[in-house]
Amino acid sequence: MEILQLKNVSLTYQTRTEETVAVDDVSFGVKEGEFVVIVGPSGCGKTSVLSLAGGLIKPTSGQITLDGKPVETNSKIGYMLQHDTLFEWRTIEKNVMLGLEVQKNRDTYAKNYAHDLLKKYGLYDFRKHYPSQLSGGMRQRAALIRTLALRPRLLLLDEAFSALDFQTRMEVCDDVHSIIKSEGKTALLVTHDISEAISLADRIVVLSKRPAKVKSLYTVNLDGKTPFERRENKEFSVWFDRIWRDIS
Amino acid sequence: MKKKLRSEREKYLLSLKKQSTKVHAIRLAILIGFFGLWQILAYTETIDDFITSSPVRIVKMLRELLSSGIFVHIATTLYECILGFIIATVVGSLIAVWLWWSETARRVLEPYLVVLNSLPKIALGPVIIIWVGAGAKAIIMMTVLICIIVTVISVLSGFMECDKDKILLLRSMGASKLQILTKLILPGSLPNFMSVIKINVGLAWVGAIMGEYLVSSAGLGYLIIYGGQVFKLDLVMASTLILCLLAALMYIVVAVIEKRICRFR
Ligand SMILES: Nc1ncnc2c1ncn2[C@@H]1O[C@H](COP(=O)(O)OP(=O)(O)OP(=O)(O)O)[C@@H](O)[C@H]1O
Ligand SMILES: [Mg+2]
Repeated sequence: MEILQLKNVSLTYQTRTEETVAVDDVSFGVKEGEFVVIVGPSGCGKTSVLSLAGGLIKPTSGQITLDGKPVETNSKIGYMLQHDTLFEWRTIEKNVMLGLEVQKNRDTYAKNYAHDLLKKYGLYDFRKHYPSQLSGGMRQRAALIRTLALRPRLLLLDEAFSALDFQTRMEVCDDVHSIIKSEGKTALLVTHDISEAISLADRIVVLSKRPAKVKSLYTVNLDGKTPFERRENKEFSVWFDRIWRDIS
Repeated sequence: MKKKLRSEREKYLLSLKKQSTKVHAIRLAILIGFFGLWQILAYTETIDDFITSSPVRIVKMLRELLSSGIFVHIATTLYECILGFIIATVVGSLIAVWLWWSETARRVLEPYLVVLNSLPKIALGPVIIIWVGAGAKAIIMMTVLICIIVTVISVLSGFMECDKDKILLLRSMGASKLQILTKLILPGSLPNFMSVIKINVGLAWVGAIMGEYLVSSAGLGYLIIYGGQVFKLDLVMASTLILCLLAALMYIVVAVIEKRICRFR
């Protein structure tokens, strides 16, 4: 069953000086519980595809549906961006509750769920801290919990690990993957990092240079529970070569 | 090992303490040196203390002022300064919010703001006096005019600098524009807002004193002008000193409030 479906989606940006075709006739779907990764060269239109999927911008043509209905920005979608975008003036707890506050959800059940997430993923003791007092990895985890607290049907992650140093990136990547899997969430992640894509994805969508078209679709059946284990797999480099050739 | 670490730490703390004692001592020395030198030069009649006044004469004058209703003048100036400051800050910030909200208004008004900002407000003095009358009202008006344009420009630029990703995030949660304003723009601009307030405190004094130079029958600015006209330099210097103290006091109050509010940093 497809949660998200893009059908012949195109997008042209209009600015004062020019028009830019960013997305050209892109179609693909994301199934329930799947982790789909979009890779493509930088500047090809990955962020645009994600914004379209999240209903933040409207396509010039084509349809985007979420659970069979046209997408719009609402509680069903959770966003996570390159920089954790935690609000510095709010404590971690208040940051995590941000979405509930925006949606005026005063349900104690929702609040408890957010607290459970904080406990489960080791941030409960830091709930009264401000973001500046946390490490990069912890901040990114807090940002993920903030997103999950809204119980989104679909998670959209835009280069969510790119701002971190290599070591932290591996850790956070493992972290986020295991959290998403154990919460049974569906995720669509965008990256320009091929290894990251292979280590995370159930399926990979390869985009061409701008304007973004779907160049190829792969189902990745690599053994390994965690991204880290996958990276150790012998076939990893085979996959890497395949996708690298696709992109260049 | 542990002991050694501790002593390293102690050494460090001690050096910090030394450094700050030194800074304070030098500060104090400058102050004492300045007034001391002034007094010595006046006492030895190297300078003419009829024209320059002297610390001793200032103290005498301060005593005299204290027993002859200086507080009326202090209260007058404080009232004009604080009221002008509050009006300018509140109205200026509201205008900034409006300009943030409406891109059209922002684009339409931008050149006007630039021109008004570079206009020396004192040039409007005569107009103000004719319009609102020669009294406290005119002085408050002058203070407001001096502070408000800077407030609008600085507060607005703080709003516009807000992280686009955070706006995107809120939008993806389904936030309304009003929610983006109250949850992100306003709290996020608090540090910037505090620095605007600090600038305004300074400007409000400029406005109040300048206003009193133009029209007044009371206030510290009035005393200074009056003292100048009748060649009572002691009065001029004493009033200036009081002004310095008041301005410093107001700055300290703002700094304390800032520390309270911006705890997250
Ligand atoms: N709001 C906009 N208005 C006009 N053009 C835009 C806008 N956003 C993106 N573009 C253009 O569309 C193209 C695709 O941008 P997009 O950000 O989607 O690519 P990307 O693959 O995410 O890039 P990156 O690797 O840098 O993150 C770029 O050429 C960009 O300049
Ligand atoms: Mg991008």
